[in-house]
Amino acid sequence: MSRPRSQAEYLARLVPPSVAGINRRSLLAGAAGTGALLGTGLLAGCGDDSGGSDSKDVSLGSNQSDPKPKDVVAKVTDGFKTSSGIQVAVNTVDHNTFQENINNYLQGKPDDVFTWFAGYRMRFFAQKGLASDISDVWGKLSGYSDAFKKASTADDGKQYFVPASYYPWAVFYRKSVWQQHGYQTPKTLDEFTALAGQMKRDGLTPIAFADKDGWPAMGTFDILNLRINGYQFHIDLMAGKEAWTSDKVKKVFDTWAGLLPLHQPDSLGRTWQEAAQSLQQKKSGMYLLGLFVGQQFSNEEQNDLDFFTFPEIDPAIGAKALDAPIDGYMMARKPKNEANARKLLEYLGGKAAADITVKNDPATLVANTGADVSGYTALQKKAAELVGSATEIAQFLDRDTRPDFASTVIIPALQQFIKDPKDIGGLTSSIESQKKSIFTD
Amino acid sequence: MSTATATRRTEGGVEAPPRRKLTPLRLLLHGFLIAVALTWLFPIAWAVLTSLRSYEYTAANGYVSFGGWTIDNYVTAWQTAEFGKHFLNSVYITVPAVLLTLFLSSCVAFVIARFSWKLNLVLLGVFTAANLLPQQALLIPLFRLFTEVPLPEFMSDSELLYDSYWGLILINVAFQCGFCVFVLSNYMKALPRDLYEAAMVDGASIWRQYWQVTMPLCRPALAALATLEVTWIYNEFFWATVLMRTGDKFPVTSSLNNLRGEFFTDNNLVSAGSVLVAIPTLVIFFMLQRHFVRGLTLGASKG
Repeated sequence: MSRPRSQAEYLARLVPPSVAGINRRSLLAGAAGTGALLGTGLLAGCGDDSGGSDSKDVSLGSNQSDPKPKDVVAKVTDGFKTSSGIQVAVNTVDHNTFQENINNYLQGKPDDVFTWFAGYRMRFFAQKGLASDISDVWGKLSGYSDAFKKASTADDGKQYFVPASYYPWAVFYRKSVWQQHGYQTPKTLDEFTALAGQMKRDGLTPIAFADKDGWPAMGTFDILNLRINGYQFHIDLMAGKEAWTSDKVKKVFDTWAGLLPLHQPDSLGRTWQEAAQSLQQKKSGMYLLGLFVGQQFSNEEQNDLDFFTFPEIDPAIGAKALDAPIDGYMMARKPKNEANARKLLEYLGGKAAADITVKNDPATLVANTGADVSGYTALQKKAAELVGSATEIAQFLDRDTRPDFASTVIIPALQQFIKDPKDIGGLTSSIESQKKSIFTD
Repeated sequence: MSTATATRRTEGGVEAPPRRKLTPLRLLLHGFLIAVALTWLFPIAWAVLTSLRSYEYTAANGYVSFGGWTIDNYVTAWQTAEFGKHFLNSVYITVPAVLLTLFLSSCVAFVIARFSWKLNLVLLGVFTAANLLPQQALLIPLFRLFTEVPLPEFMSDSELLYDSYWGLILINVAFQCGFCVFVLSNYMKALPRDLYEAAMVDGASIWRQYWQVTMPLCRPALAALATLEVTWIYNEFFWATVLMRTGDKFPVTSSLNNLRGEFFTDNNLVSAGSVLVAIPTLVIFFMLQRHFVRGLTLGASKG
């Protein structure tokens, strides 16, 4: 046996038998150590509410994380429990996380029923087989206009979605400001431009505008596109079937470029809240936004808020189509309790759920026309009438197209346009070439 | 330094070191240090300031104004985001993950430092290399894996590794071990070999050498690592968002999103929430601060 040449070599030879074959004592000591470590927090944390899988419950994944809507979901599910005896386990995830995670969520183990949006986003998951056909539930539902049924139907002609609530996009203004200056609701684009010019002379910012977050400008693009080219073109353009380089799209940008000087400047550094505040503070004359603009107004000011739908541009197209995103519910691919899930969906789409919603959240419009809407404010009534009289309901740009197309192509493109409205040709061909790389199938 | 200070020090003996002369260079240095300190403090101070003001006031007067003081934001943040529950979730994930990381990585580090085997360097390299791997690159395979691994129901109501605390603990341990092994093995290599020889002579087993000789000596390093690991794992947000499905099980960092509304975000409220979420890391740091500094400098000079 040779002598070790270095300290390390010497030490290395001193390996005791416990390394070669673990003896009983060290094994016990090791196990005790590991056990002590593992036991500290795990057992307390991991054995939480084990729901059991009897047929008296159903789960609902909800993105309604704002306090009011969350409360409504709780009240509606309570109502379902009273009427059917089935307990709903509500899993609330905040709105943005839920939306960004939806792919993972649906491919993992989703809740039986989940909140989602009508339009392309619904059709997308229906087509991928990540949601279940609920045409039979629709057979039992009543009180929905054809426009809503159309918005709940996927490409295969079956329904995958139960609408619950919606909100329209329109041009909002303060009645008191308009009365003071004697403004009249414009019926055509020329009247609209003339009115905005008058506002400018009166020292107001004609059209409040903000696009820091990227999506508000989509509303402007949508409504101009709907007025100039009509609903079907909007759907086809969003589905990637029409070319962005076409004259039709260029005309939309041209019209918008004409209106931009009437918009609040420096909009890329402003959030919609700040733009809405300029309306609220009577610094701006009007603002094209969703009904949620009212969140920036105090309760006393709500009655001073009014709106009109964006005026007609082409008489052949009219002014009957609009953006009114619909929120609602879908059923997961393989729900644990399918029968209960269908019952829940039927309840959620029914009159009782709509009544509870109206009573508890004055900010939403319920999709079911059978609901008791006597609790609506004047603004809500008007909004419901507007949408009820709409010939077609678009879902808003980012809900009518692929999410990746909306966020990675359209948002930067529209912001670029706002910065430099002159180069429409370059902008549209850039969108078109990016579109081709995204809509590959 | 100047000769003046040097002579004074020899005369003064044990008294406190005298003030240094103010030279332009020193002024510059201090100016620079103050500027850097302010740059670092500014965002935090701004967040604290914002969190103490009401949204109505800042909305009307802008953020560059003074007034509208309130602590309602903190109350609202705590209630709407249900921080109580989510803080507990963070504890369920952080405490076992940190303890397990330290235990496992100290075992590896001990072997690497104590024995000289051919694969030591490779082993250390593998553990350190894992540190350089961007975690996000593993998202899809890990997600698939987690949805396939079943757990008994008493361990997680999801009955899968996906959407369970176990999964998150595992992920965190896996990703943090590399760094800890690296630090601990370097630290253990600095321990005198004679200790082990003495321990061997006294008949101590490997386990004993590890648990009763090495570990007590590594306390400063372990405390420093514990501080860092608690902060990192507690702040971990990505995996909790992706591998969790149940909103009620989210740790506090992921639940901060609850304060963002669907359309409307009250920045003052989010500031208040962020300040609340940052407090535990500060508490941990100040609790272990003493060890932290010792851990960094211990072994720097041999007595």
